[in-house]
Amino acid sequence: MNDQESPLDQLRRTAAALLELSPSPPSGLRLRSGDLSVEVDWAEPAPVAAVGRTAVSATVGATAEEPAAAPVAVRAPLLGTFYRAPAPEAPPFVALGDRVEVGQQIGIVESMKLMNPVESEVAGEVVEVLVADATAVEYDQALLMVATDRAGGGCAEVFGGGERP
Amino acid sequence: MRFRSVLVANRGEIAVRVVRACRELGIRTIAVYSTADRDAVHDRLGDEQVHIGPAPARRSYLNAAAVIEAALQRGAEAVHPGYGFLSEDPDFAAACAENGLTFVGPPPEVIGRFGDKAAARAAMGEAGLPILPGTGTAVEEAEARAAADDIGYPVIIKAVVGGGGRGMEIVTGPDAFAAAYRRTRETARLLFGDDRVCVERFLTAAHHIEVQVLCDDHGNAVHLGVRDCSAQRRRQKLVEESPSPVVGPELAERIAAAALRGARAAGYRGAGTFEFLLDAESRDFYFMEANCRIQVEHPVTEMVTGVDLVREQLLIAAGQPLSMRQEDVRPYGVAVECRINAEDPDRDFVPAPGPLTEFVPPGGPFVRVDTHAYPGLTVTPHYDPLIAKVICWGPDRETALDRMDRALAELRVAGPGVRTTTAFLRELIAHPLFRKGVHTTSLVDLVVAERRPQPTWSTT
Repeated sequence: MNDQESPLDQLRRTAAALLELSPSPPSGLRLRSGDLSVEVDWAEPAPVAAVGRTAVSATVGATAEEPAAAPVAVRAPLLGTFYRAPAPEAPPFVALGDRVEVGQQIGIVESMKLMNPVESEVAGEVVEVLVADATAVEYDQALLMVATDRAGGGCAEVFGGGERP
Repeated sequence: MRFRSVLVANRGEIAVRVVRACRELGIRTIAVYSTADRDAVHDRLGDEQVHIGPAPARRSYLNAAAVIEAALQRGAEAVHPGYGFLSEDPDFAAACAENGLTFVGPPPEVIGRFGDKAAARAAMGEAGLPILPGTGTAVEEAEARAAADDIGYPVIIKAVVGGGGRGMEIVTGPDAFAAAYRRTRETARLLFGDDRVCVERFLTAAHHIEVQVLCDDHGNAVHLGVRDCSAQRRRQKLVEESPSPVVGPELAERIAAAALRGARAAGYRGAGTFEFLLDAESRDFYFMEANCRIQVEHPVTEMVTGVDLVREQLLIAAGQPLSMRQEDVRPYGVAVECRINAEDPDRDFVPAPGPLTEFVPPGGPFVRVDTHAYPGLTVTPHYDPLIAKVICWGPDRETALDRMDRALAELRVAGPGVRTTTAFLRELIAHPLFRKGVHTTSLVDLVVAERRPQPTWSTT
């Protein structure tokens, strides 16, 4: 999986880690994937991280203070068949009500007989399972919904979403 | 038999074109799209649509695994690759077969043979097609120099793996050879990561003539006449027509016979195009390359022959014999195609994509428009800039060109940041050399040079 991790995925991970450090929601977030760069703005003097690569950027404006974030989708990283469990008789990777962490495997997408792990890009509680085991999924299809730990639904959408032109 | 379902592994106007042929045959269609095309997906692009990957083509339209997986998921029996993208990838064609899918195109080994330009040239030479005097394969400097002296100047030095008009240099005399040779190798190394070059005779004035062929699995092969694609810029065709204004029936027949000989020798199957250069002075013609796909300019052949080439592709792939014999192919009249690209002719044809606030295609008698565009579509910068193809037919060339000028005047394409080649194309087809039909492959450069330079600060 890590071999196939895109620059954007790396950026998301880095940004998520940065956001974990802050007690308050950010006022802005920029990801760029040409020569990797992550910028996070807080209302106070802003820590800035730059990691260094292509053509996707997402910008999130300041979000209104919300007590709870809207649930965020974990999406299929590629087209294929989605499996919720590592083997036919095994329990699912995650079930409704389970807690997931950033980077935790929540399923498998099989494409051309290759098993590709699907990892959550957010931390929180699984509040909805959208796709049944052994179902065909498209690229970027929402698989399950996670109620994130922190406020800032807008950011969560960035992590949850695929690339948008 | 016929296919019941076909996955269209492409986008833009050619995806619409393939879907139309499928629908007329009663075939269910599955379209694929990338995130960049997500907002442009509608039922004209297929009965079902599958999101196969993000905007970059290598992760979507060039992603063989995703395309095949999508075809299997949706129960497609065949995959039509259109042009570009995976259409001439022998590994993709082989992978389709391995997964029980019929690839609409020639067998993988035929695609592979024609994909290697040097091997194709050698094979076609063996089959008796005329080829330009040249080394054929990579040569070191001393050998290249000896070959050039032997061929006679001017010669062209070009990268073995090159394409798109880059990585090549013309040498007019022996004094300039050594420097040009070294420069071309360096350029080839930079552009393609492969600095092998070959040497060939250069035709100072040439016409680009190509032959459309159709071959089935039952030993039948027909040609559908020639197209003239001499109006090109850096090997990108702008205007195509059939028949050629510079090739009479007897010469056309000889060139077409050569193409059929090549197709048979190669074990060709499906629709293919054999490209030739015609020396404007000597009137000798030479095989250049064969394209194992439907081509952008296929409609001009359809308009003069009445043969639906995409339909034939689908029937041939399903194992049916050709629906016509050679004597049934009776071209009539002249058809011309103009490619409307989102490019700015005033700024060296840089891409000028953007949202279309206005899109009104031309209409009227004998005017055909192949397009995926509509008002509200955003022309994306991620893929080729083709917005529409305007094709006009007339009983003679003059009528067809008058009709094209009228059609281009009717076409309205506008949007913030959007520029098109429409006005440039009208100038091009009005040029005296083009009107007389004596233009060579250097016409477009000439027209570009003749246009008054546009100040960069001007706005319109």
